Amino acid sequence: MSDDKKDVLIAAYLFEDLAKRDFDAVLKLAEDKAITVEGVVLVQKDTHGEVHVTETGDHLGRKGLKIGGGAGLVVGLFAPPLLAATAVGAAAGGVMAKFAKHRVESGIAEKMDDALPPGSGGVIAIYDSGGADAVDKALPNAVKKSVAQIDGMSANELKAGLAEAQAGMGG
Amino acid sequence: MSDETIDRTRLPIRRPPFSGVAEQTLGGSRPDWAQIGHVKPPEGSPNVLVVLIDDAGFGNPGAFGGPIDTPNYDRIADQGLRYNRFHVTAMCSPTRAALLTGRNHHAVGMGGIPEASSGFPGYSAMLPKDAAPFPKVLKENGYSTAAIGKWHLTPEKEQGPAGPFDHWPNAWGFDYYWGFLAPEASQFDTMIAENQKFVGVQEGKDGEPFYFPEAMTDQAIDWLHGVRGHDSEKPWMLYYSTGCSHSPHHVSKEWSDKYKGRFDQGWDKLRGETFERQKKLGVVPTDAILTPRDESMPAWDSLDENRRRVCARQMEVYAGYSENADHHVGRLLDSIEAMGELDNTIVVWIWGDNGASLEGTPSGTFNEGTMLNGLPLTDQEQLQLTLKWGGLEAWGTEMMYPHYSSAWAWAGNTPFAWGKQVASHLGGTRNPLVVRYPQRITDNGGLRSQFTHVSDIGPTILEMVEIPQPMHVDGIEQQPMTGASFADSLADANASEHHTQQYFENFGNRAMYKEGWWLAMRMPRIPWRLDPDVLKHFAPGVWKPDEDPVELYYLPDDFSQATDLSASHPEKVKELQSLFWEEAEKYHVKPLLAGFAGFFGILPPIGTITTNTYHGVVQNIAPGAVPRIYNHSYTISADLHIPDDGAEGVIVAEASHLGGFSLFVQDGKLKHTYAFLGVFEYRQESRNELPAGDVNVQMIFKADEAKPATPGEVTLLVNGEPVGGGRMDHTVPFIFSGYAGMDVGLDNGLVVDRSYAEKAPFAFTGTVQKVVFDVAPHLDDQDEHAMHEHASQSDIARGISG
Repeated sequence: MSDDKKDVLIAAYLFEDLAKRDFDAVLKLAEDKAITVEGVVLVQKDTHGEVHVTETGDHLGRKGLKIGGGAGLVVGLFAPPLLAATAVGAAAGGVMAKFAKHRVESGIAEKMDDALPPGSGGVIAIYDSGGADAVDKALPNAVKKSVAQIDGMSANELKAGLAEAQAGMGG
Repeated sequence: MSDETIDRTRLPIRRPPFSGVAEQTLGGSRPDWAQIGHVKPPEGSPNVLVVLIDDAGFGNPGAFGGPIDTPNYDRIADQGLRYNRFHVTAMCSPTRAALLTGRNHHAVGMGGIPEASSGFPGYSAMLPKDAAPFPKVLKENGYSTAAIGKWHLTPEKEQGPAGPFDHWPNAWGFDYYWGFLAPEASQFDTMIAENQKFVGVQEGKDGEPFYFPEAMTDQAIDWLHGVRGHDSEKPWMLYYSTGCSHSPHHVSKEWSDKYKGRFDQGWDKLRGETFERQKKLGVVPTDAILTPRDESMPAWDSLDENRRRVCARQMEVYAGYSENADHHVGRLLDSIEAMGELDNTIVVWIWGDNGASLEGTPSGTFNEGTMLNGLPLTDQEQLQLTLKWGGLEAWGTEMMYPHYSSAWAWAGNTPFAWGKQVASHLGGTRNPLVVRYPQRITDNGGLRSQFTHVSDIGPTILEMVEIPQPMHVDGIEQQPMTGASFADSLADANASEHHTQQYFENFGNRAMYKEGWWLAMRMPRIPWRLDPDVLKHFAPGVWKPDEDPVELYYLPDDFSQATDLSASHPEKVKELQSLFWEEAEKYHVKPLLAGFAGFFGILPPIGTITTNTYHGVVQNIAPGAVPRIYNHSYTISADLHIPDDGAEGVIVAEASHLGGFSLFVQDGKLKHTYAFLGVFEYRQESRNELPAGDVNVQMIFKADEAKPATPGEVTLLVNGEPVGGGRMDHTVPFIFSGYAGMDVGLDNGLVVDRSYAEKAPFAFTGTVQKVVFDVAPHLDDQDEHAMHEHASQSDIARGISG
């Protein structure tokens, strides 16, 4: 972790393809090492309010559907129950609870819950706060952006918990 | 009675003298059966159908070259005539008043709108008894008459069970009325009035959701069937007035999706395409010039991708909504045809009571209520709020109160400049008219270009059915109709022009037409601006109307008003300016801006009633009759009975999540939700559950100060004890909704708090014994005056969109 403070950003979109365009732009920043990214996730919230992960990207700007590490951190902070479907399985209730607790205590939950209304697309990213300007410029199509912060230590703890849970699931 | 000797110039027609014999007993007596007869119209009188579409422009329907498919309008135009120089006033109620009375709108008190009755005769919104509408004339001459759909001619303060009913549709001469009285209505949960009573939100048929255009058509057809079933000969007159295409633009996806991609080219290109089609059709002369875009509207190419896509969808919805209206008129026409009466019916179909509406602001809006309340939202905020309420999938549904961009309206008025409210220009005042009547029209599909005006419709119909304009009605001498019949033009394309002179005026925008010359006198105010910065230029003593810039056009050579001749014809400018003031004097147009008087501190007397008490369940209280809770402190107090096993449901609720409030019980707790125009929601709830038995609950709003949109503190009380509360940083300054009403004991229609939407109307399961609004706690005289002034302004703001 190169920076103590991390921004947790949710950018909301009216159009899924525009969200994808911006998602790719943020990943390009990561690939070019213009910013330090934990993970980026492209999601769609359906009209019933259910969130679906469409695509993920890691700290090197690589896309992939396997959700772990930084992408898992993103998913977990945004919607802990999604971890069950995407990363750790339904049995790993402990790690989900950790994420849920952190969301509430840090105030992230309050900021994030309404950030993505039903029917919208979203780009969710966690990156070093120093890259905020660059990320902001990479998201020209976002209709609304909400930013919360998480300290590096907490992020590490959550990621470690996630890795542990994933290991348990695997073995 | 259909005797030639009947004097039809005095209405009601007197009963005939008794021509029988009446002895002391029946012995030797002979009845005169004419005593129990009814007045009959002249032999062979045809039916009359008048169709009026709302808020639409010259360049909207396909029949006039527009991009909207209107197969039924095409059908009637092709079987009848297109009139391409037909004029309306630039506002809703004034056009309707001129249409139905055959007189100038100011002359019948409708220079403004019924939400702002003013103390000047041209702006009272009170139909004078010396101006009997032509439907009343037909009725008194033996026609069955009905009005179905939008009304917007009844003073708002009279819209309740206490009336009076002199200005409701029945009193205008309609035997039957079904529709909505407001300037606009949700098409999915319309608050319906029938005759002289609000009957509220209706159910759809066959388990389908209610949809006003469909329901009003069913009502119209039912009425026709009923009349014909009862009397096989009696002619009828039906005024069918759609809520479409006024905001909210509500239509199912099935209709809007037909237009997917058809507006991606944007308004600038659409305008050019429409113009070419218009010329090809012949409704616009080939030498006409397309007028340019005003700088208040953005170029399509200047929009970013989000806005382009959102704006394109706005127009897809508007187009689908409009085509749906055409479809339902088609159903009505089909049913008349099936009755075998279409060829004996004069069909008059006007596409737009004024030009298309510019009131959506340049960005378009998810909630027109934000514009009515003067809430400035940036383009980005409009996008965010669109997203909040369901994105583009929800545009056109009940979740929004949508209005498209003003630039789409401008494109809908192709080839003219401006639109609704702007009486100085043809974009606000020239609309399509088609007439079908095979008994007179021989050149089906023909074009007529005589200068005609909406006030001509009544005189034309009366001439065609051979009923004279009455001199006296109900003992009152009538002012003559100022419209001129154009009946001779039906058979004769070259008939001379009878309407050679006409003034136009709406909210200070004015024009004077005489024998081809048109002097345009536009106030320097764009229609979506009502803020003090703009209005201060028009204050008493400040505004000098004759110093407004003028434009002069010669319409026979310049169909679209593209070439301003004012500099080269100063004498004509002067002549028409003077003529305007003569007409203004004659028809009560003066004082200009009387409809805006409230904005300049000229107010009706302050009402003395500060409490409203509702006993039991009271439903469908019209928006204008809702207690004035805006901009100051107020209290709602309710006496309830809670059964031992608890209760839930709404105690009192006004309007919807797009603006409104609800005091309700949920999960045993007292809750209050205040919806700030769909932008913010404020919620408070009691800490504990309500006790069983007789309970008094209160919601006290203590305003920080009496001022528009004041913040303040909410306190909830149960049996006098504070149990919860919270702060509201913003409150609605003008009005929650242009159309949704208030209910006690339930929340009819679209609900205020979506948390109980699944249980709507969420009727209270205990007993609501009484609800009392106290709207003037703690107001001193100065505050009271200030709030009264603001309330008057809010009425204008609301009505202006009509």
